[in-house]
Amino acid sequence: MVGAEQSVNGLLDDMAVKIMMIEPGDLSAVGELLEVLEKLIAHEDMSSLAFLQQMACAFQAALQDLIMAELPDTAESYQQLAECISRMQEVRRKSDDHHAVIAFCNHLNSIGCKLDPARLVAGQQDESGQDDNQDDNNDPDFLRDKELLECFIDEAGEYLGVIEANVLELEKAPGNSEAINAIFRAFHTIKGTAGSVSLPEISSLAHAVENLLDEVRSGRISMDAEVIELVLAVDDSLKLMVAHAQDVYENGVAYHPAAIDGQLALISSVLEKKCGNSRPSPDEAVTPAKVPDVDVPPPAPPAGGGMPDFMKDSDLLSGFISEAFEHLESIELNVLELEQNPNDQDIINNIFRPFHTIKGVSGFLNLMTINRLAHATENLLDDVRNGKLAMNSGIIDIVLGVGDFLRTMIQNLSDVLEKGLEYYRQYHINDFLARIKICQEGSEAGQEEEPVPVAGRPAQETPSSPRPADNVAAAAPFVPAVKTVEAGAAAAGPTQKKNIEAAIKVDINKLDGLVNAVGELVIMQAMVRHNPLIAGLSDPKLNKDFSQLTRITTELQKTAMSMRMVPIRQTFQKMTRLVRDLSKKTGKLVNLVMDGEETEIDRNMVDSIYDPLVHMIRNSVDHGVQVPDERLKRGKPEAGTVRLSAYQKGGNIIIEIADDGEGVNTEKIRSKALERGLIQAGGSYSDHEINNLIFLPGFSTADKITDVSGRGVGMDVVKKGVEKLRGRVDLQSTPGEGSLFLIHLPLTLAIIDGIVVGVGSERYIIPTIAIRESMRPKMENYNTVQGKGETLLVRDSLLPIIRLYHVFGVAEACTDIGQGIAVVVENEGRQRALLVDELLGKQEVVIKSLGGYMKDIKGVAGGTILGDGRVGLILDLAGLISVSEEMGPGHFNRSNAIQE
Amino acid sequence: MANVERAQSSVKKNVKALAGKYLTFDLGKEEYCIGILKVREIIGLMEITAVPHTPRYIKGVINLRGSVIPVLDLRSKFDMEAKEYTERTCIIVVEVQGETETVLVGMIVDSVSEVLNIVEAEIEPPPTFGGDAVETDNFLGMAKIKGRVKILLDTDKVIGETGLGHMANVAA
Repeated sequence: MVGAEQSVNGLLDDMAVKIMMIEPGDLSAVGELLEVLEKLIAHEDMSSLAFLQQMACAFQAALQDLIMAELPDTAESYQQLAECISRMQEVRRKSDDHHAVIAFCNHLNSIGCKLDPARLVAGQQDESGQDDNQDDNNDPDFLRDKELLECFIDEAGEYLGVIEANVLELEKAPGNSEAINAIFRAFHTIKGTAGSVSLPEISSLAHAVENLLDEVRSGRISMDAEVIELVLAVDDSLKLMVAHAQDVYENGVAYHPAAIDGQLALISSVLEKKCGNSRPSPDEAVTPAKVPDVDVPPPAPPAGGGMPDFMKDSDLLSGFISEAFEHLESIELNVLELEQNPNDQDIINNIFRPFHTIKGVSGFLNLMTINRLAHATENLLDDVRNGKLAMNSGIIDIVLGVGDFLRTMIQNLSDVLEKGLEYYRQYHINDFLARIKICQEGSEAGQEEEPVPVAGRPAQETPSSPRPADNVAAAAPFVPAVKTVEAGAAAAGPTQKKNIEAAIKVDINKLDGLVNAVGELVIMQAMVRHNPLIAGLSDPKLNKDFSQLTRITTELQKTAMSMRMVPIRQTFQKMTRLVRDLSKKTGKLVNLVMDGEETEIDRNMVDSIYDPLVHMIRNSVDHGVQVPDERLKRGKPEAGTVRLSAYQKGGNIIIEIADDGEGVNTEKIRSKALERGLIQAGGSYSDHEINNLIFLPGFSTADKITDVSGRGVGMDVVKKGVEKLRGRVDLQSTPGEGSLFLIHLPLTLAIIDGIVVGVGSERYIIPTIAIRESMRPKMENYNTVQGKGETLLVRDSLLPIIRLYHVFGVAEACTDIGQGIAVVVENEGRQRALLVDELLGKQEVVIKSLGGYMKDIKGVAGGTILGDGRVGLILDLAGLISVSEEMGPGHFNRSNAIQE
Repeated sequence: MANVERAQSSVKKNVKALAGKYLTFDLGKEEYCIGILKVREIIGLMEITAVPHTPRYIKGVINLRGSVIPVLDLRSKFDMEAKEYTERTCIIVVEVQGETETVLVGMIVDSVSEVLNIVEAEIEPPPTFGGDAVETDNFLGMAKIKGRVKILLDTDKVIGETGLGHMANVAA
């Protein structure tokens, strides 16, 4: 044994060299490392270095796991292992360096190694002593991040309540696996979050119980009275500990870490007793307390093998999916904010947390790809948080990229959940992992004035004072000049105190059901009231009661409707990212100013309004706002402003998109329109009318108007999108000063203002927004045109007549032009005179789909329940006009047409 | 020939799965059955709003407690002789598979008779008739019960063909 002569230091150095040489997949090199490690463990000096011995054993276990492929064999793992060796070297130099030990555990845990207490050599009494030392230092660790702590205290209280309730449930029904899972989950979450707020006692206690419950869950031990007692006891002491932490935080009481050894011992003795020797005897007062950042994914096969087992619990998965989307959204927002304030710790924490949650839950669900990506990003952010890395645009891009990628993956999961497993896709995250690594390493290499953490110097020597000047300097050239100014209240600062109102999540189907039921209620009430028998009564009491009932139902309907409304904020905030990317691409400086984000719109409208908004914002940035030089030449501020605002006006929601750029080149549009014969030469058209021609389908894109005047791409898309929502869009422009788009939208999609018309025995509803006027036609205005059908002269324009009864094949309708009513309607700039029998009144109607396969009927937009309980059809004018054109003239009975 | 045998054996297998409870109703002199699980409810005739540009047998839409559902006339669908609606005429609301989810559709029939438990032994695969006169695709099989023959209707086919399938074809 040559190694016997080597000193402990020499062996450690040897290991440090070896680990650097290892390439992923090179197991023989790992074997060599293991050999040196074994020499180290067997070294005679080690007996006096109990601490180091313990670490070496843990490290050995990790290496063995790696060889057994229980740990991912990636460059990242080796990096973490190299870190571990560095820590061991530190401990060798300074034997009571407990920080290094904690870091050691962290590194091991981060590669998915489950740092089992039993794996570390037992009986290190001095360790708990170490803990106390640590906690005696000034402020306890967990006070560093107040917001996180607050969050934890809140959550933990909730989870502990859940645990208690479920334990009691279990007592009644010991086999209830759902309850066990709920308890398990709650402990798992507490463990994770307690770890991240540096409350090691809570974390390790929760961890121990989690282990115990895992055995219960897998059926190795039964949930008997003893276990229940124990879990309840732990629950109670956790409650006390959380309460104490809260006390420390709120009232500044001195912090005393709770003694958890007793309970840990109890748990492990129960474990031992019940499972026999199926597990190595876990020793109590050991390292769990030393593991502040425990977030151990359950021992799982490495990603990618066989059938993904995350499908087992689809409830959990769907919960994860919807939560993850929320988290990703908040990440994106915060990252964008961070760009403005690269040094704001709060914002970094706000980004860190959701990643941490995604990591934790995805690990729990065995979604290893997501877990790894989130974890790597979390590490990156952690480095930023600790000041090891300066925030720069590279990191921001990575984090944004990871966010997008995670969204894709999670979207895929939700597809899998809906459509089945064959949709499952494996995503390759190695690119990102590599980029993250490069980022972590690159900046470490690039910043010589900083200690290099990887190379074996203790991490805590990193200067804790951030270097704001440096950071700003590094970040500034890359940060595009997007500035989100929240008009009004938000000026106070980027981190507003959360003001959470009590709210619950409700299944959208239930909500729709409620809205439907209320709609029916209103109709039924009207039917009852107009029942001839009741209408005949003239009892004042009855009348009074009826009006009271009406009041209540109206109120109910209003409330139900309002529940579907959500603030437009989310949609607006997505634009921030868009403007950022666009301005980066075009080299323009753009301030996005948002206003009225609290304005509420129908939830179903949120998705549909997104596309038009994207087009308009893109237009404003791309074509409206000029490049900085140009702007300066014109005496405008260098940075352009795009203002996005929303407000309610009358029965409409109005969204404005304004820019202070070039404005629309009206002359170009006019000449183009003339060329295409859209307007007549010499005709008098206002600039406003001309400008709005850009919305005509096909007008813009094909004509390359954009090359000259800078307006028009996708405008017909915008118009179609808005019209689909039964809204309209309008453009106002001042040449040289900018343009303003106004989108008018109805308050809700579910209700439409309509005029009820009668044709024969049928009732139809024409949307009020399309109606220009209505009249009883005079015969002198009626003309037939050879081959072109009938026209009606209304205010100097000849309108084609559409006989509704004819198009819809209604019998027994009024066929005499002079006896009917002509309703002038407009759709996409085309006006028509619609011949109906009579106008029956104006009504707000609730739109219903005609169900299943009747949705694509031309000329019918949907149905509604009329006051008498019958179904009335809502007209779709675009379809109606095209149907009438297809049917062509000559079908009408000319002899009927003129009956004078 | 082998094909025919295979087809027949697969039909036999299907027949096995057909046993169960059925709602029976009359159309003229014929008796039809639909699986009870498909039936959502039976309602009396109510006022139907005609929808333009739909096949002749689609009578229109009705208000089924707040939701709008299409209604078709089964006689008309089967090209049987039209008959005046009487007080025994009713609408059977069935659940059929739509594009993405199940949808409700009403079927007008002469009258509803009873709910029967039909066992495997009573069921035979649908016979084949020459030509296009009878669309046997619409039927799951025939059941002989107490000397009477009842026709097992495949609602997904009948409604699917008239509805989704048909309209989709037109669109394509």
